[in-house]
Amino acid sequence: MEWNGMQYFLLVILCFFVALLPRFIPLYIFRARKIPKWFNEWMEFVPICLFTSLVVKDLFITKTYDFTLQGHFPELISSIVVIAIAFWTRSMALSVIIGLGLAFLLSMFVF
Amino acid sequence: MKSLFGGFQLTKMVADPKIPAWRRNFQISFPLDISYIPIGLASGILLHAAGFNFFNTLLLSILVFSGGAQFLIASMLTINSPLLTIVLMLFFLELRYALLGSSLSKYLHGQSTLFTFLFAVSMNDENYAVNYLKFSTDKKFTPRYALQIEHWSLFFWAMSNVVGSLLGTAIHIDLTVVHFALTALFLFMIVMQVKNFLKIFIALLAAGLAIFFLVITKSTLGLVCSTLLASFVGFLIDNYLRRRRIKTHHKSRLIKMFKNPAGTPKED
Repeated sequence: MEWNGMQYFLLVILCFFVALLPRFIPLYIFRARKIPKWFNEWMEFVPICLFTSLVVKDLFITKTYDFTLQGHFPELISSIVVIAIAFWTRSMALSVIIGLGLAFLLSMFVF
Repeated sequence: MKSLFGGFQLTKMVADPKIPAWRRNFQISFPLDISYIPIGLASGILLHAAGFNFFNTLLLSILVFSGGAQFLIASMLTINSPLLTIVLMLFFLELRYALLGSSLSKYLHGQSTLFTFLFAVSMNDENYAVNYLKFSTDKKFTPRYALQIEHWSLFFWAMSNVVGSLLGTAIHIDLTVVHFALTALFLFMIVMQVKNFLKIFIALLAAGLAIFFLVITKSTLGLVCSTLLASFVGFLIDNYLRRRRIKTHHKSRLIKMFKNPAGTPKED
């Protein structure tokens, strides 16, 4: 699907609202009250689940939404390296740059 | 999620009273502003690759002002997600701001609704971290100063996004490789999120569910399903374990295993 400028604009506006609501409403309400504990605890698991789902989609799902193990082989190997680098260096820049470089080299020269 | 986008340090904890307030706030936000530049550039380039023009990139970086969100939008556009799915995913990603907002809310007591609104619009992970630290350590720090710090970081973020967008028009970028930059970024964020074995288990559960739901829904809506379900299971297990008074929040043994090859001391 090709999008036109107006659709991008609509996307921006909608994103503004969904980004604003979680920032504004708790700040507004909980200036006086405390946030429910269960919500805090649930939210703690949202980022990791979201990011894992996204990564899985990039590595194991094809364009036609089928499962694949070898479809993205250079990326798969680079991902393991990225996890190791992130784990030991805790540096976002190093993880992304080295991972990107490796994925690029592997797809160019090896696979 | 605190220092996802580059570490920064507050060099000056005690401000010189002779310096005007706006300059003092600029000094406080400066390390953050600097670390925004490379990420803002990358975000601008990726948004351009995803089809965003100059104006929409500027608007998005001002109105949404979140690195993770903008990378997510760019990523989902390159995999041709429908508009509603993108907005829905963004909503779930941004839900975590509810946590930041509620923890800062006690410092905004007595502020007007307009001020709270302005503060909420420009709050994100990084300036929250700076402001929270200032609020909790500096008694003279006011909500107005905090808003100024938000606006300084917003200024740097929007500018680097715009420059990135312009760079995107000037240089050609291989989309498949650019896309892996996002994958690597998300992988980094996952590693930063892993603090105990439960998180690893939930990540694996989310991975399995993501494959299942993506294949059966044949759309990116599967991502929403797996995120909601896996995070809720995580919440339930966490609650159950806590009720049984089993601590799952100690530092990961896996991390210690790598740090100390001689073995891990028993913790329970």
